[in-house]
Amino acid sequence: MTTSVNRTIRERVQRIETMPAIPAVFLPLLRLLNNSVDEVKLDEVVRLISYDGAIAAQCLRVAGSPLFGMAQPPKSIKGAVISLGLRRVETILLTCCLGQAFPAKKWALDPAVFWRHSLGCAMVCRKFSEKLAAADHEKAYMAGLLHDIGFMVNCLAFPKEFAMAMERACQEEVPLHEAEHSTMGFTHCETGRVLAEKWKLADDIIAVIAHHHGVGQSQKSQPLVALVHLSDLLCRTRGLGYGYYERRMVDLIADPAWAILLQEHRDLEGVDLVRFTFELDEAVGEIHALVSTVFGLAPATART
Amino acid sequence: MTIVPQPPVAQPAPNKSAETVDPVYRQIRDLVYKVSGMYKAEEKLYLLADGCARRMKQTDARTPREYWDRLTAAPSRDAELRELLNEITIGETCLFRSQPQLDALRKVILPEIVTEKVKQVTKRLRIWSAGCSTGEESYTLAMNMLEESERLLKGWTVEILATDLNDRSVETAKAGIYGDYALRNTSDLYKRKYFSTVDEKRLQVRPEVKKLIAFSRLNLQDDSKMLFMKGMDLIFCCNVLIYFDGASKSKVINHFFSDLNFGGYFFLGTSESLMKLNDQFHLVHFPGTIAYWKPSLSSGKL
Repeated sequence: MTTSVNRTIRERVQRIETMPAIPAVFLPLLRLLNNSVDEVKLDEVVRLISYDGAIAAQCLRVAGSPLFGMAQPPKSIKGAVISLGLRRVETILLTCCLGQAFPAKKWALDPAVFWRHSLGCAMVCRKFSEKLAAADHEKAYMAGLLHDIGFMVNCLAFPKEFAMAMERACQEEVPLHEAEHSTMGFTHCETGRVLAEKWKLADDIIAVIAHHHGVGQSQKSQPLVALVHLSDLLCRTRGLGYGYYERRMVDLIADPAWAILLQEHRDLEGVDLVRFTFELDEAVGEIHALVSTVFGLAPATART
Repeated sequence: MTIVPQPPVAQPAPNKSAETVDPVYRQIRDLVYKVSGMYKAEEKLYLLADGCARRMKQTDARTPREYWDRLTAAPSRDAELRELLNEITIGETCLFRSQPQLDALRKVILPEIVTEKVKQVTKRLRIWSAGCSTGEESYTLAMNMLEESERLLKGWTVEILATDLNDRSVETAKAGIYGDYALRNTSDLYKRKYFSTVDEKRLQVRPEVKKLIAFSRLNLQDDSKMLFMKGMDLIFCCNVLIYFDGASKSKVINHFFSDLNFGGYFFLGTSESLMKLNDQFHLVHFPGTIAYWKPSLSSGKL
């Protein structure tokens, strides 16, 4: 990306007043996530969650969704933390925080579609990561959840330009980042990076946001970026894409990202990708329900 | 692609199957997958449970656990698994069964094959419906190819080979007469365009569709005949290989691979997997469907 384009993005992002702010508990939570589990005090987590009533309520509802594997919804925050485990509670909280940062509005990219893709990708990243013994599963979830935040920046800072890119993608049935590039000269990867830096997200998450469409270009955390890249592609072929038909064939195993991930995780070789795909289909209904819980969006539209 | 609209829910939908289905059905689902490559998704476990219930009656098994024993203990297991597969695939067949498969075919694959073959003198597309049963899939393919005959396939000859082991199925397929159930996914437009009325309840495929297809009897395990099925661009083999044991399955798949042209595609049923029986095919994803690809010479992926 040229420096002038980069400057334009930064200027626009600075200028808009409605740039999403993250709820106050977000950053302390991120710090918690970076601590080792032994050092985290349970009460501190419970206190953080209770700090924001809306988030606490949402958190309980989300914890009760089948996506997080609880048969009975927990009745108290403490109950949720104990039965779900700290790491899992943190991912749920981050999901809810994001829901607060980007309230549902009418955007060029339907927010319901966007959140289904983001949550779907987060879930696939975690499930995928769970197949790889040495991976950090909750980190994978967070990377999947946040990888596309650049689209939200585009909707807010470049509404007209992005609407054109979106229209072009739908009409030509090409991947959205390609349409962004040919229409605007930059993509959600660049705009997402600006927001991620503003939010002071961790370096590996910034790498995912900036490079999930070009894994080889990432200087850092290539296996995590590769995992998100593959999960993103898989989501887009199984009904959790951007709401239109992407006219192309995807060969995940021949993708350079597969080789990068394999280098780090030899157990990738044993993953049954077909069964994994079928299992992903099972979760699509749950994703729709979760989006309506966290983001207050109707689970209606029946497109990809 | 089209996905089935979800019912409107304010709260996360309770996972009914998780609460009501005996855990042994998940064990049976995994066994069926391991042996046959057929995967029954969580929300379709009730279909598996229904199939099991019918087999339990037949085999005097009083509980799902007892039925599990029938499925896993010699000498009954192989025969019983076959019976169960029959039960759970029954009534699945209809025309236009998988729209994502047809979309992939018309939007991605055909344009690619047409571009790839543009330099060849004879513009000919060969499709094989292997295990065509009573013809639903073959006619669906034929109608979709006819839809492209004035566009992508203008000036092309399309040949569809439809084979099945069962003589009676082949005869039924040749007649091309279908009732409401088989036509449940067929749009009125297609019904008007490609069918004529037989009586109040049945429609018959028109001759112009039929003439694209050659039906015949073929045993996929007959090696000498399989060697002659060369030059295919597409092979469809739906819910057939699930009945084969590992070794026979592997042999048939190798035949399919060599029968396909470079750049050709092999499709299984929508919930079937090739498992890891062939490492030459590339597993590829299209929106809502998967296929196996024999890399083209120009792709550099052989």
